[in-house]
Amino acid sequence: MTVRVTEEPFDPGAEIAAFNTAHGHAGALATFTGYCRAATAGRPVGTLYIEQYPGFTQREIQRLADDVSRQLGTLDLLVVHRVGAIRPGEAIVLVAAMAAHRAEAFDAVRLLMDYLKTDAPLWKKESGPDGDRWIEPTAHDHARRAKAGEKV
Amino acid sequence: MARLVFLGRFREIANPALAQVTLPGGVRTLAGLKDWLAEAEPALGKALDSARTQIAVNQVLVRDPSHPIVHDDEIAFLPPMSGG
Repeated sequence: MTVRVTEEPFDPGAEIAAFNTAHGHAGALATFTGYCRAATAGRPVGTLYIEQYPGFTQREIQRLADDVSRQLGTLDLLVVHRVGAIRPGEAIVLVAAMAAHRAEAFDAVRLLMDYLKTDAPLWKKESGPDGDRWIEPTAHDHARRAKAGEKV
Repeated sequence: MARLVFLGRFREIANPALAQVTLPGGVRTLAGLKDWLAEAEPALGKALDSARTQIAVNQVLVRDPSHPIVHDDEIAFLPPMSGG
């Protein structure tokens, strides 16, 4: 399992290719990549800032990934999460799951993303022409998280 | 000296001098620390006063307000998280 929190832009395609090379005979690979939007609810976004709590953030994401792995029996998981200043179009997060069959791979990616939305120690601020705005999980995020499982 | 860490929107409100602070002798628990902060910095105290604020002591989440605080502890105040 690999969890990386990075200030540097990353190439999701290259990350997925490397992850796949390491487990080419597993059977199923599912991935999700989240990108920085150019606008949120009609407001243009100039830069997205994501703040971490160094050390703690990495360990907590690792704990969430361990939990998903235990629940779904995946063979391996990869999480890459950007922090710092991110421009529209750049990748924010990549989650990849390798499993024997598609159901476990799809489920692992979805569950880990639901966990990350509400439980990963990261704080987002959008900055645009009409000012700065801290973003907190929506009611929808919390509802998805509640449905995904009890607090881990 | 205790180290206080304020994340996200709390960092923008907190006095930077709080990063390294000598706590008064009477401040011995997390609840005591929150009360002391609310008195010293009312705007910060108000922001922290939410059921959704989480606190980590030495990088471990702690939910018990009576958790003791000792010299050299790192105490972090975390607003609601939003990854992904």
